[in-house]
Amino acid sequence: MLSPSGVRALSALLALSGSVAAAVPESARTVQTILAGRCVACHYAGGGQAGLSLASLGDALRGGSSGPAIVPGNPTASLLLQRISGPRPAMPPVGEPLSDKQVDAVARWIKAGAPGVDSAGEDPADAWWSFAPLNRPSVPADGGGWSRNEIDRFVAAKHSEMGLRPAPEADRTTLIRRLSYNLLGLPPSPEQVRSFVEDSSSGAYERLVDGMLASPRYGERWGRHWLDVVHYGESHGYDKDKARRNAWPYRDYVIRSFNGDKPYARFIREQIAGDVLWPADPEGLIATGFVAAGPWDYVGHAELREGTKDKQLARLLDRDDMVAATMSTFTSLTVHCARCHDHKFDPILQADYYALQAVFAGVDRADQPYFDDPEVHAKGRDVWRKMRKAHEALARIEAQMAEATSDEISRLDKRSEKISQQVADSLPKVGEVDTEESIALRTALGKESVQVKTRRNELALARLPVPTQEEHEALTLEIESLESQLGALPGRRTVYSAATYFEPYGTFTPAWSPRPVHLLAKGSVEAPLERALPGAVSAVAGLAARFGTDSRSDEGSGRAALAAWISDSRNPLTWRSIANRVWHYHFGRGLADSPNDFGRMGSAPTHPELLDWLAVEVRDGGGSLKRLHRKILLSATYRQASSERSGQRATDAGNRWLWRMNRNRLDAEAVRDTLLAISGQMDLSMGGPSAEQFVFKDDHSPVYDYAHFDVASPAARRRSVYRFLVRSVQDPFMESLDCADPSLLVPRRSSTLTAVQALALLNDPLVIESSRHFADRMREGAPDLASQVERGIRLALGRDASDEETSLLASHGRQHGLENVARLIINSNEFLFVD
Amino acid sequence: MPTDNVAPTRRRLLQAWGGGLGWIALAHLLRRDAGASGGQSEGLHHPAKARRVVQLFMSGAASQCDMFDYKPLLIERSGQPFDPGGKVELFQSSPGPVMPSPWDWAQHGESGKWMSSLVPHLAGCVDRMAFFPSMVSKSNVHGPATFMQNTGFTVPGFPSMGAWISYGLGSLTDQLPSFVVLPDARGFAPNGPSNHSAGFLPAQHQGTMIRAGRENAIHDLFPPRSADFVTPASEQAGLEVLEQLNRVHMADRPGDSRLAARIEAYEMAARLQSTAPEVLDVGGESQATRQLYGLDDPITADFGLRCLTARRLLERGVRFVQVWSGADNGFPRRNWDSHEDLLTDHGMMGRSMDQPAAALIHDLGSLGLLEDTIVYWTTEFGRMPCSQGAKGRDHNPFTFTSWLAGGGVKGGTVYGASDEWSYKAMDNPIHSYDLHATVLHLLGIDHTQLTYRHNGIDRRLTDVHGHVITEVIS
Repeated sequence: MLSPSGVRALSALLALSGSVAAAVPESARTVQTILAGRCVACHYAGGGQAGLSLASLGDALRGGSSGPAIVPGNPTASLLLQRISGPRPAMPPVGEPLSDKQVDAVARWIKAGAPGVDSAGEDPADAWWSFAPLNRPSVPADGGGWSRNEIDRFVAAKHSEMGLRPAPEADRTTLIRRLSYNLLGLPPSPEQVRSFVEDSSSGAYERLVDGMLASPRYGERWGRHWLDVVHYGESHGYDKDKARRNAWPYRDYVIRSFNGDKPYARFIREQIAGDVLWPADPEGLIATGFVAAGPWDYVGHAELREGTKDKQLARLLDRDDMVAATMSTFTSLTVHCARCHDHKFDPILQADYYALQAVFAGVDRADQPYFDDPEVHAKGRDVWRKMRKAHEALARIEAQMAEATSDEISRLDKRSEKISQQVADSLPKVGEVDTEESIALRTALGKESVQVKTRRNELALARLPVPTQEEHEALTLEIESLESQLGALPGRRTVYSAATYFEPYGTFTPAWSPRPVHLLAKGSVEAPLERALPGAVSAVAGLAARFGTDSRSDEGSGRAALAAWISDSRNPLTWRSIANRVWHYHFGRGLADSPNDFGRMGSAPTHPELLDWLAVEVRDGGGSLKRLHRKILLSATYRQASSERSGQRATDAGNRWLWRMNRNRLDAEAVRDTLLAISGQMDLSMGGPSAEQFVFKDDHSPVYDYAHFDVASPAARRRSVYRFLVRSVQDPFMESLDCADPSLLVPRRSSTLTAVQALALLNDPLVIESSRHFADRMREGAPDLASQVERGIRLALGRDASDEETSLLASHGRQHGLENVARLIINSNEFLFVD
Repeated sequence: MPTDNVAPTRRRLLQAWGGGLGWIALAHLLRRDAGASGGQSEGLHHPAKARRVVQLFMSGAASQCDMFDYKPLLIERSGQPFDPGGKVELFQSSPGPVMPSPWDWAQHGESGKWMSSLVPHLAGCVDRMAFFPSMVSKSNVHGPATFMQNTGFTVPGFPSMGAWISYGLGSLTDQLPSFVVLPDARGFAPNGPSNHSAGFLPAQHQGTMIRAGRENAIHDLFPPRSADFVTPASEQAGLEVLEQLNRVHMADRPGDSRLAARIEAYEMAARLQSTAPEVLDVGGESQATRQLYGLDDPITADFGLRCLTARRLLERGVRFVQVWSGADNGFPRRNWDSHEDLLTDHGMMGRSMDQPAAALIHDLGSLGLLEDTIVYWTTEFGRMPCSQGAKGRDHNPFTFTSWLAGGGVKGGTVYGASDEWSYKAMDNPIHSYDLHATVLHLLGIDHTQLTYRHNGIDRRLTDVHGHVITEVIS
């Protein structure tokens, strides 16, 4: 871990050595900011007004239907300057004209020859590695005969450049333990180890890899990585951290997708807009659990009144979470840095950020009905859409009703207020016990409240025009009929996902049409500028940055367009991002060591050509991740031993150039699952509602009590990926092992070694319980202490015990019991680290 | 993990508390070892006036205008319509009439600070306190606002102040964690333990929760009752065997400092096992001390025990202790969120907090610790000067009061002012950023320099804001 100052120095160094970007002159950035703030809303990339995009300076030079907008060196001949200057400038058509200072900045920049735009009209962003178009690099020649495949030839080229030599291949017991944890998150069984070590036929390693990739445990392991990245959690977070008991279908979708090797482009599109793109497929809706995965401010959405500043703020932050999660996950960009101003380091405009917010302006996070049978699902969703339409019409009439007045109506309104007051007054105070009297009073008041409100609405409706009254009646009947149609469909289930329609609760109601999104000066809801329309990042060459869809009438079109934009084969960020993530989880570090930040403040890749080669492999290989795994796992690079050699260490102590394998600490899930596996306690059933490994007490703010959970109960035996994930309070055992905080996008786990962690591994009730069962398993078929110890080492560490170990542990077992031996093995360094 | 050649033993020791303490913290500890700190501690960026912090957090929003922010106008206009000019937007209700505090006001100390009779003990400390009656919250909702006072952000996932200070300054002891949290016995505040998380900072900086007065005060500190096979003898022998196993394993794997760090983590764990019970046992405290903190009065006993525990932790080198007054916003009321009945609910919370908080100031003072310990009292926002439903007060994000006392704080001062209603901050409005910046400054930290890169941004406790309030620094 580096200190703050160390990180800064390092990134500065990388920027010097790794950067291929031309410096962007200050004047160009200023102009870019002006255009982004005032022009790009209409003149967006790929379809702006008058065929002109001002989304990048290169676009300005290319011009529109009237010709180039700028003529470098000649301000007066530049259309852009003509339009924005003068006593009554033509542009922008709405709002204040540009200030003299802004016009002057544009004029001076053009006069100076429009620096930052080269003659071809290319944008400076093209020069940054992650934005550069993605082409398959040529593979270096095989040097020393070490290489097994293309990956090794890229790695070997760096070795010879740096004067490094690769490590020898690890032995088979090491390889199978490494593979097993890496692909399945579980230790290999002693039988698996023996059969692999003894298999002298050719292709033994390949068969092992293929077998593991085909195991359902693979999807559980790699699905969990994905859930880190998308910050999947099962409670809302914040105050009143309510449980989300219907989030799990998305978790199962992720696991299924990995196991089924779903093409990556499809995986992307389903998660962002599956409900829109595959309306008849339940999988499409479930996948949008991605959009809903993050935290949600219950009070802000469901308790604050419409029109308050805090309500606006809650919605702004909710969309911000969706935008940040989408773009970090799929493109490794930090667009959320552009909420208050243009991105300080990367070619991401504030206008781009709000264009992305506009994409999500009509969706909320809520429970949705779905059906496993696609035919029923299609019917059910059709009914759901009709219900939405009817409710929308009804909401319009109800708004009129709320406005209606008469003496009697205001009398009833006053009575309603009084009732709420009486209810509040009858609640017990601190130290008081609720009396039957006041409970009875509240029940009576509750009944009266319903009567008063019903009467009030009847009176209000009667004051509206007759056709409106009739429409109200018809709509009410229609909704009833639709509800019973939906209820009659078999196999209804529920998923917490993206939602444009849902059962309202409190003040949380659907957006009947997408909520207007405006550019916000300094990100403040109190300083709205132009309205933003759906789009993405302007700096990606060849892709239209404004979608031209009118999200005001068609919510889904914006999400569908973003899904297409991200999954486009021409989007270089997407393919580099996933290739880098996969590499990261195989080696413990990405080729670019900032998997969520491919910008200038992230880490440049150590092997840029290799990263590009892998990215093209995924993109052009049908988006198959299993194919990519196989390529990586079969490489000589992956098969290296992890041992250090002092000569190499002096050159590259951090192993950036991969002259050995990294030794990695087991993550929280692998530790917990291993405890269950070696003690014979694991329940391998897949999917379904999450295992609640706490005592739940519902309340104003629900209580999740881990301390009183019974670790011997069935819920304790499920694999860790099926744990119920609470945001406000995490499982302390898992937290001590750096499990992902579901409130954070976690592209990379920390790997700490703390005293608190040592205490958890010594004393947590789960470890105690596991030690007991592990000891029982050691005893199975082993007649004496020595053979019991040997069996324990084989189960937990996947190798044969040495004589010294056996005698040391057997002697400890003789004095203190085999359970204590079991607990020691669990606490050993070898248990926690994988060579 | 990068390794280095400086003081390997010391470095590994620190890693045992967290697998990689920041360089700055390492440098600090090395300086401490070298005896450079003497009486006055050194700061990270400039000389420090304080070394430790105890934060008292009033959950649910404690009312400024019933304790610290005296407004004669409320008494004058009692029962009249609340009309401060402009639209009044409340969290839950429509504004009721002006409601003066049910408690009396009087001036105290040499500074003549007005305090209400709800906090008579704190009234005796005013000359040691600096008040901030013009605090403003960015949110009017408990969850986001509580995050903001703790982390500087209104969304979950950010490190709390204690974690930042632990990250910046490291530990003053190798026996105890650097950041300890003492939650209210009735439960967690809104947002739960994520209020004191390390966020994206390394895990060792997160608040270690101590449930003072409970059997298992620290989670997993000792084996559970179910561990009948663990005995003192097996424990001692087992740790030796474990170390032997680990040393054999390590011998085959030279150059990996994590393997040694983990061995030391177990030694550290053993030290915590022997230290913690002694620290948490207040049985040896004198009767006078028990009385000072109100341990024998059921109203003050819980907060009193935790304030006393905080003092014992600070004495032994814990860097940052956070003590909570109040749990979540449920019913019956168990925190400061007095929408329904201010007299009853604030009456209870105020009484339970006042004496122990004042005791902490006095006690730290008489032990000589107050000169380099900051006492930082805060809440997530304030309450309205008008009534809600006749007897309660709704949320007020526009003005509320925090106060500081102790290390480097100029006592008897007031910075900023609210308007004549205690409705909106008027003179020198400040946010959590400014108070956080000021506390960091007193600890020798430049708040703009204490950063950590996460998801593309150099994050700070103070986001892109924060001004040190030099007026209250002695």
